[in-house]
Amino acid sequence: MATETPGRDESWYGAGEEVDRIRGAAFKWACLGATLFGISMVFVLLLYVAVDAIRPFSADAGWYLAVGLAAVVPTVALLAYYVRRDREAGWVGATATALPAFCLLVGSGVAILVIEVFPPHEWFAVVPALGAVVAVWAVHQRVRPDPVEFERFGVVALAALVAFVGVPGAVPSLEAALQSALLWLNWPTMMLYSFAGPIALATGILIARRHESRRAGAVATTLTFAAGVVSILLAPAVGVDDYLLVVVALSVAVPTALYAESVLRSGENVSGLALPVVAYVGIAVAAVVVETYGFTGPAAWLDWEFLTEPHSRFPQRAGIYPALVGSIMMMLVIVVSAFPVGVAAALYLEEYAPDNGATGRVVSIIEMNIGNLAGVPSVVYGLLGLALFIRYADMNTGSVVVGGLTVGLLILPIVIISAQEAIRAVPDSMRQASYGMGATRWQTVRNVVLPEAIPGILTGTILAFGRAIGETAPLLMIGAAAVVFNAPGAFTEQFSAMPRQIFAWSSEPSAEFRHGVLAAGVVTLLVVLLSMNAAAILIRNRYQRR
Amino acid sequence: MSNENVTTSDTGTDTDFQTDDDQSIASPTPGSEAVETGESTRTTGATHTVIESRDLDVYYGDTQALQNVSIQIPEQQVTAMIGPSGCGKSTFLRCINRMNDLIDAARVEGDLLFQGKNVYDDDVDPVALRRRIGMVFQQPNPFPKSIYDNVAYGLKLQGRTENLDEKVEHALKQAALWDEVKDQLDESGLDLSGGQQQRLCIARAIAVDPEVILMDEPASALDPVATSQIEDLIDELAEDYTVVIVTHNMQQAARISDKTAVFLTGGELVEFDDTGKIFENPDNDRVEDYITGKFG
Repeated sequence: MATETPGRDESWYGAGEEVDRIRGAAFKWACLGATLFGISMVFVLLLYVAVDAIRPFSADAGWYLAVGLAAVVPTVALLAYYVRRDREAGWVGATATALPAFCLLVGSGVAILVIEVFPPHEWFAVVPALGAVVAVWAVHQRVRPDPVEFERFGVVALAALVAFVGVPGAVPSLEAALQSALLWLNWPTMMLYSFAGPIALATGILIARRHESRRAGAVATTLTFAAGVVSILLAPAVGVDDYLLVVVALSVAVPTALYAESVLRSGENVSGLALPVVAYVGIAVAAVVVETYGFTGPAAWLDWEFLTEPHSRFPQRAGIYPALVGSIMMMLVIVVSAFPVGVAAALYLEEYAPDNGATGRVVSIIEMNIGNLAGVPSVVYGLLGLALFIRYADMNTGSVVVGGLTVGLLILPIVIISAQEAIRAVPDSMRQASYGMGATRWQTVRNVVLPEAIPGILTGTILAFGRAIGETAPLLMIGAAAVVFNAPGAFTEQFSAMPRQIFAWSSEPSAEFRHGVLAAGVVTLLVVLLSMNAAAILIRNRYQRR
Repeated sequence: MSNENVTTSDTGTDTDFQTDDDQSIASPTPGSEAVETGESTRTTGATHTVIESRDLDVYYGDTQALQNVSIQIPEQQVTAMIGPSGCGKSTFLRCINRMNDLIDAARVEGDLLFQGKNVYDDDVDPVALRRRIGMVFQQPNPFPKSIYDNVAYGLKLQGRTENLDEKVEHALKQAALWDEVKDQLDESGLDLSGGQQQRLCIARAIAVDPEVILMDEPASALDPVATSQIEDLIDELAEDYTVVIVTHNMQQAARISDKTAVFLTGGELVEFDDTGKIFENPDNDRVEDYITGKFG
């Protein structure tokens, strides 16, 4: 009984520290130490590279004063207000501020494609040809609402064939015909009709649905199209080619305006919209002040010229543009090749493959080996690409397609595994519900499993693409050029990618290359990668269930 | 409600373990017991048999889940399946619409006839079968779609999209949910409460106008109020549909069912008879022990 030992009884509540917590505390601090060590190492490295790329100490005090007072101080003050008073509005503000910057990056990517791969007259021909296919589909749906099996698919496929392929050697495709027939239009007009037009229409339809008013839709369409016209008229003042400015301006303006409109319409957290206004007006004011008083900003390696010029013997003039274009085109090939194959494989393994019996064992061996494939060194994939695509399939050495397919193979296992996980996360009760309603397996996959799994699949896949864009070793193996002076104009041309270009700069004898230019390249690569990860997070948040 | 019924039964005369077919057909004496047992006022006359199993055995790998089950389920009545956990009652339910096909290890032997046709014949498409036999599960499992799309799902699958709005409205009214959700048809089915979700699942199942509705413990995840709403609903549904319901809750079986089948451990059907007979005067000692709470 407790009464027999009075000394013990007094401190039953633990004042005598009989409960040993030292080991637990030590473990906790060790874990914290590991976390801080890891994060600070990465942070120091990034800071080091960023300082090399931007050279903040080369700016004079007036520049810092102007930028600080006009842009940084008001923005930080406003942020502090949001953090203390109104977090929800703060999030709205942060989104509204980040959205234009993010859209600018994406819009620039599209503009690069317009410059290098689809010049305006080709783009202009593709859009109406695509429109014709969609029109055929719509008309067929009206005329024959109950088609026999595969009838609609056949009709649409035929329309696509006429629109894009034609009869080789005899009848040109619709697209080719349009391309040659409409050459008399100038490029700005082409972009206006083929880029601003569809976007204006889509915006109008979206607004009309949101407001349930055709008039609102018509106003939105007109405004969007007018924005396109204005950007063409303003182009000489900005100093960018007019047909490109349409692309960039609309990519930034339309999503931003739509977001602002949805915030205003909901009427909640409207005060958050002050943040982008303060931040961007502040930057503009700072720019004007710096211009008027003639302050010198930092002599950054990472500047406009670096982004738009090719490599040069002189570090001051060297740029990353062709490699940037190469990386973007390579990503396109990777997306088109690895995404559908990976998702299809994951769907088969999760939804169709049997779990038991002899085939079940084969399937589980395959699944295990997909995991192993994800761990195979990337040099080996480079060798595979060299043997398969260049030696065997006889494609051009170091071309964009070969690079994209090789790196696509490299990330395929990761895409499969992440897609499998997303599909597995769809609750089985939903499949049961669907089958119980008399759905076939295909109907269940299409209507229930895929819509539920798509956000997870996209998140995982975009992270895999983030890894793909930084891969260097496979590019070395397939003979991607160290340095190219012209961006590739087609997917079969030789290219260089950003990591390959950075690797080439690292072996330059001049210290300015190895420290300055290389750091600028690394920052560019990181910005592209981070914006892809940001897109993954955005998609995940957008689709996450309440 | 009918606790008295459960406890006042006197010992059955014989200890016959096997219920044979003849007994289960012959026993219904029109409309006497059912009236006493619960709110259900349907006559338990000798009606047409919709589902019939003959010597049904089910195995999951090497373990046998059902042994020699023979039963005849009558049309437009509520048939309850009760028994302890793991006795095979859910397995039997899932055999009826071949949901067990989705489990690779499951193997079915014996005959299971729906409208006189063995559903395990090679020429029976389980998808077509499930379109005539709807199912409601233990956990409410609406799709993460709008309420409207949830109810319209089965109709769209079958391409029956004419007068979709009316059919959705009709199904929601039948499931006693229309008044609560008619202004929020575009909102997600997952935003409803648990009981509403389960009624949505019932609406989804009856929207395609099946002949039979299978319910696998439809109220076990719900609170008492929602449970009683579901029970009222089942009572109404039996006017148009044949309902087969698995339940853990013996009082629930006594309240809502016309016929009751008792499964006991090992996957055998021990007794099948009118609900009043089972709860007042079961033939089988083990059934009586189970119902009075001495076992299980």
